[in-house]
Amino acid sequence: MRKVLIVLAFIFAVIGIPFAILPLGTLGVLPAGLSLLFGLLAFFKSPTGHKNVPIWLMVLAGLLLAVIVVKAMIPDEVVKDTEFEQKKIESKQEDLKDLEELENL
Amino acid sequence: MRRLVFILALTFAISGSAQNKAVKSGEKFVYAASYNMSGLMTQLAQVTMETETVKTSKKTLLHLSCEATTYSKWDSFFKIRDLYEAYVDPTTLKPSLYKRDIYEGKYTKKEKYIFKNGTVESTMTKKNMAPTTKTFNVGTSQDAVSTIYLLRNVDFSKFKVGQIKTFTVIFDEKQTTVSAKYMGKETISAGNLGPKDCYKISIGASTKALKGTDKNIIWLTADNAKVPAKISFSIPVGTGQLILNNASGI
Repeated sequence: MRKVLIVLAFIFAVIGIPFAILPLGTLGVLPAGLSLLFGLLAFFKSPTGHKNVPIWLMVLAGLLLAVIVVKAMIPDEVVKDTEFEQKKIESKQEDLKDLEELENL
Repeated sequence: MRRLVFILALTFAISGSAQNKAVKSGEKFVYAASYNMSGLMTQLAQVTMETETVKTSKKTLLHLSCEATTYSKWDSFFKIRDLYEAYVDPTTLKPSLYKRDIYEGKYTKKEKYIFKNGTVESTMTKKNMAPTTKTFNVGTSQDAVSTIYLLRNVDFSKFKVGQIKTFTVIFDEKQTTVSAKYMGKETISAGNLGPKDCYKISIGASTKALKGTDKNIIWLTADNAKVPAKISFSIPVGTGQLILNNASGI
């Protein structure tokens, strides 16, 4: 039973890693939370002196949860893209030329 | 995102009255675009729609722009910088020039349509390909962006539930027939405008871009401005929505 819980905690922690890296909001709370839960259960099932693996799994799951929650709290923003802004200005100048040509036809 | 903007265009598009009463210069609508990922709506991009007066030596035109930009957290994974623009007559909203500039990850595409006397001269440029030009008759069809704004001039207060209006939109050098069905009124949260009574309109099109019946819906505020408060869409690759965050200049 202890081994099954450790394997489950490990699998969900691995699944939680890409969710923590990618900007998927709170979607990663589920695998990271399950990893923490199974890690906790494995911790209580482990005899004294064999609790290191569940502890490390819980630390990993806790870190993943922290990263996911902190990232989810950061507001969605669009950074000012100077290259794009410049492109829009140039595009508008070109448009005005086209419109003038169109009027003179 | 190309499909999203097309749907946005179709969703808004309709042949309305000849006189523009709803669209003003200086408007700015900011939306949060979300996509359904494993049952959770994940915000991907910001969509901004703006209007501005532009003067040439002989005319005064209205510049309509629709811009989609991924949030900075997504830029490293999939960067989108799409720009759709139209220069239209401020009274009739008839287009003179329509442009589309797509930048989606590694995919780029540019289109330019010049409208003159019922015909369109289009130029299309794709990455690593020579530009192609085409001339075709369009009749009274509008470009995608200007038809977006035409919808806001339709008087939905006179529509009955289930009433359908059909129209044509030019997109990807093709004319597409689109239908808009009035489905009644609903109260929708419209960003800084607060909860608003809205006209609920279902969009259908003779294209594979839209999926399902009554799955592509737009809610327009039931007032003179008819601000698009919410848009939900269903396309072959999934579902999503656009939620109004901020509306100014109305």
